[in-house]
Amino acid sequence: MFKPLSIAILAASLFASPIAFSADKTSVKISAPWEINSYDPAVSGFAFHRLQVMETLVDADTKGVLIPGLATEWSATEDGMSWTLTVREGVKFHNGTTMTAEFVAKSLITALAKPGMLKKAPIKSIEAKDGKILIQMEKPFSALPALLTHNTTVISAPASIDAEGNAVAAIGTGPFTVDTFTPPQGLSLKRNDDYWGDKALLESASYLATSRAETRALIAESGDADLVFNLDPSGFAHLKDVDSVTAMADAIPRVVSLKLNASHKFLDDARARQALSMAINRQGIATAITRFPEASATQLFPPVLSEWHDKDLKPLTNDVEAAKKLLADLGWKAGDDGVLTRDGERFKLLLRTFPDRPELPLIATALQDQWGEIGVELEVSVSSYSEIPKGHKDGSLEVALFARNYGLTPDPIGTTLADFGKGGGDWGAMGWDNATVIDALDKISQTSDASVRSENIATVVKAVHDELPLIPVVWYQHTVSVAKDLKGYVVDPLERNYGLSKVSWGK
Amino acid sequence: MSNQAILATLPVERRFPIWRVLGIVLLLFLAVCAVMGPDLIGVDPFKQSLMHTLQSPSAEHWLGTDHLGRDMLARLLSGAQLSLSLAALSVLTAAIPGTILGIVAAWRGGWTERGLTLFADAVLALPGLLLVLMLAAISPGSWWALYVGLSLTLWVEYFRYTRQRARVVLSEPSVESSRLLGFGPMHVVRRHLIPEIGPGLLTIAAFGAATAVTAVAALGFVSVGIRPPTAEWGVMMTQLLPYWREAPFLIFQPVICLVITVLALHLSVGGRKL
Amino acid sequence: MLQRSVFWSALAGRAVQAVVVAVVVGIISFAMMQALPGDSAYRIAAGRYGYDMMDAASADQVRTELGLDQPVVVQLVSWLGSLAQFDLGKSSVSGSPIAEELKTQMGYSLLLAGAGLLVSLLIAIPVGIMAGLKPGGWFDRFSLAASIFFRAIPAFAIGVVLMLGFAVHTKLLPVAGFKGPEYLVLPALTLGLGLAAVSSRVIRDAVSEAMSAEWRLFSRTKGLSSKLTLSRHVLRNAALPVVAYVGVQLAFLIEGVVIIESVFAWPGIGHALVHAIFGRDVPMVQGTALALGLMYVVLNLIVDLTCHGIDPRRSKTA
Repeated sequence: MFKPLSIAILAASLFASPIAFSADKTSVKISAPWEINSYDPAVSGFAFHRLQVMETLVDADTKGVLIPGLATEWSATEDGMSWTLTVREGVKFHNGTTMTAEFVAKSLITALAKPGMLKKAPIKSIEAKDGKILIQMEKPFSALPALLTHNTTVISAPASIDAEGNAVAAIGTGPFTVDTFTPPQGLSLKRNDDYWGDKALLESASYLATSRAETRALIAESGDADLVFNLDPSGFAHLKDVDSVTAMADAIPRVVSLKLNASHKFLDDARARQALSMAINRQGIATAITRFPEASATQLFPPVLSEWHDKDLKPLTNDVEAAKKLLADLGWKAGDDGVLTRDGERFKLLLRTFPDRPELPLIATALQDQWGEIGVELEVSVSSYSEIPKGHKDGSLEVALFARNYGLTPDPIGTTLADFGKGGGDWGAMGWDNATVIDALDKISQTSDASVRSENIATVVKAVHDELPLIPVVWYQHTVSVAKDLKGYVVDPLERNYGLSKVSWGK
Repeated sequence: MSNQAILATLPVERRFPIWRVLGIVLLLFLAVCAVMGPDLIGVDPFKQSLMHTLQSPSAEHWLGTDHLGRDMLARLLSGAQLSLSLAALSVLTAAIPGTILGIVAAWRGGWTERGLTLFADAVLALPGLLLVLMLAAISPGSWWALYVGLSLTLWVEYFRYTRQRARVVLSEPSVESSRLLGFGPMHVVRRHLIPEIGPGLLTIAAFGAATAVTAVAALGFVSVGIRPPTAEWGVMMTQLLPYWREAPFLIFQPVICLVITVLALHLSVGGRKL
Repeated sequence: MLQRSVFWSALAGRAVQAVVVAVVVGIISFAMMQALPGDSAYRIAAGRYGYDMMDAASADQVRTELGLDQPVVVQLVSWLGSLAQFDLGKSSVSGSPIAEELKTQMGYSLLLAGAGLLVSLLIAIPVGIMAGLKPGGWFDRFSLAASIFFRAIPAFAIGVVLMLGFAVHTKLLPVAGFKGPEYLVLPALTLGLGLAAVSSRVIRDAVSEAMSAEWRLFSRTKGLSSKLTLSRHVLRNAALPVVAYVGVQLAFLIEGVVIIESVFAWPGIGHALVHAIFGRDVPMVQGTALALGLMYVVLNLIVDLTCHGIDPRRSKTA
């Protein structure tokens, strides 16, 4: 039994040694949970963008301030009905083609036809004119440049798409070019020596999609990858004690929240939603499950989203007795088994969640227990996340638990407009049409006046906080493990860019 | 006849060895635990305590607490009911038809055999994973769907093994003479087939019990399975995996339970030759 | 050693079986996918765009793009039509040709399965024979205990322990990935240990029975040495059930690697199949099921021929 084992080890060590102890560090290895399925930017744009193969017209720094990308400048007409962007000159795609305004317009039109961020703006037309991009709007939309930072708007070469419109290659403009692609697990990159900006410091990089968090933690510890993203709480705790890596956590604008069907007969009263919110032990969940006790949500928008976070808002609290009292006021009485009943109906809800973020089923199980305390029977269904938009559309959804990223673009208005605007959103309010909020969101999206903007944001934030169409549970921390000798890595709180071109090896 | 001859040449074995007694006692113990355990200890297997998670064994929690602060002993006992019945049911419903069809195919030969073999091959050729996942998707979160899916894929193993072995046994001269002498099928099955293929089948069946539980763990791994907060050994293995580093004793508990179960099965069925 | 006629008739039989399998697997997997609850346009959109970008609008777009609102029969006939021209179509989720995806993934899976099987045999054959020669001996009992343990512990736990031992602590091997032969060792070992747990017992039983059979006593009495008896008769007779069992194992093997593929980030077909089922990627499921089915036919042929080589008596009715 042991003989073949030792032979295998011997054979393996022969293969492995040159790799494990290679001294010439000209490459960086990245591991993250996301699989890359295709060349199509609408599907895999996030990966090509983060790995700096493709770039967007507008870029953002780590504070969320917009900076020039493939466009050098942008401006809107006075009435806000049309935008002009100047395309950077002297930029070449990886296949040597020069990037022209025509190609950029074509790339944006393709992106607009597919699901993506551009869909959130009221765009009428996109065209190229005199080396500039002209975007006509149906109504003013001040956050358009912010949307153009999103990875679904990356610019790719015309040769990336074949005659039938299928994406057949990932040809971008970034500091790295695609060397080999093994969908869905691997991608390896080479430095683009013709890059228009600061060239990458390292010669190559490789990406490995590792769906299991346990594996990622081990990969980080063994040094098989130098940058490892999205660590699980347990793995993160362990890596903090490992000498060869630095484990970092950074607050990001992603929020775990409960979406409630406000037109459901148990939930149509704001007091019922408040009672459910009070029954949640956020501190417990943040301490035991996500393990960042300071990140238990006191309101929907986290502090990192400074414009939308209101420090003076009364924090959401955990008060089981008050919750019970609120529900009693609404006519609910505890039955024999402790479950509340009203008019012969049990307070029973079905919560839909999904396993792609491993903490969600755990939080759902904790909520099941905590809501049980106040006599609400919660059934948990762990399935595909597509069940949530589907349940929203056909009205069958009762409660959903998910993690929403309000930082997809530096200005979250695109997301909030979709979530709390008219008719609610697939990942936002349901059966909760609040005229004041809809009006305020419209104003925010159209104005470029800072005071009008902040006034209306305050209106939205307060209404959402008081009426709880969404019950926030915990805020997120972005976790990453960085090899000790890797210099120049900066966490991007918007999760847009891994910043590979700036990292290098040193002592 | 032949077996008595063999037995005579083997070292003397007790008909009812101590191992077998031990196995049966263990099985009985597991059954008692599963049926009465949850009531006996009187701890709620679903009660969480988020401030007391991943605790080591203590006077209050004999086997510690899991990632949501639930009592491990209570959950293992509550999980025993589901896991053991799932294992027993799926083994029985796979082994009985699989073995009978295997013997029929070998006995009848010809078109019966060809037909059954083709059927079994078709089942094997169709990815079992597809079948199990589909059943699990049709009735999400319920354990019977997992069980039906498992039985439907596992019976083929018994069928193929029985058929292959039975063909060899049936072509032996001693069996042919039995058949020529006019002994009926039951006689041949009892006197020749069972002694020949029985031990192998029992080995497969005892491991089959483990297959059922680890299959649930595997499905849990791809996020298909029983709804929370139900306790089941396989599900517990999957759920405790992320904490293997901080609390390795936790994930080993359901594994050890399963090891004891399989060991007990082996000892009680395979006692003669062990 | 094989008679030509046996070989050709086995081949012809399998060719017929292959065609039958292709059609049956295609239709059944199509029917199964149709029977699944849930709206496939939503699932496909989810598989494509991820939870941050997926919404009802993208699902509607997918529905129109893929013609999912067409009658079920039309979709099936069009798949069978393309299949007749050896065209597996394009994946609903990734949009790439399925034949291309399968080629890569199947290759990686076969490599893993083959290596896993090899490891399992390297462990199981010596262990099984040692145990079977002395049933009830200490080695037999020890190997039984080891078998039970490895069978009861889920593959992901074995994988994690191996990674910790060989990759993190000793740095002999990489944790996960697929860029070289050294990446194959740990997944193959994980797979092999699980497989050997059962096959070593099957071998042990076969050997111990062969050892106690009448003809062995006969061959011993006719004066053959015990070593010669072992190699010439016992092992030969024991091999038959073992090969048959390996045949069954193989069928489970390819898809059974799904967990190991996820743990070790190995781009194989089991992993792809699970994703395709979740994502309701019907053409991909059909293509994968078809590939697995045909591979099973081939493996079956190999097992049959091997069995025939071991024991020519059987081939009369095969």
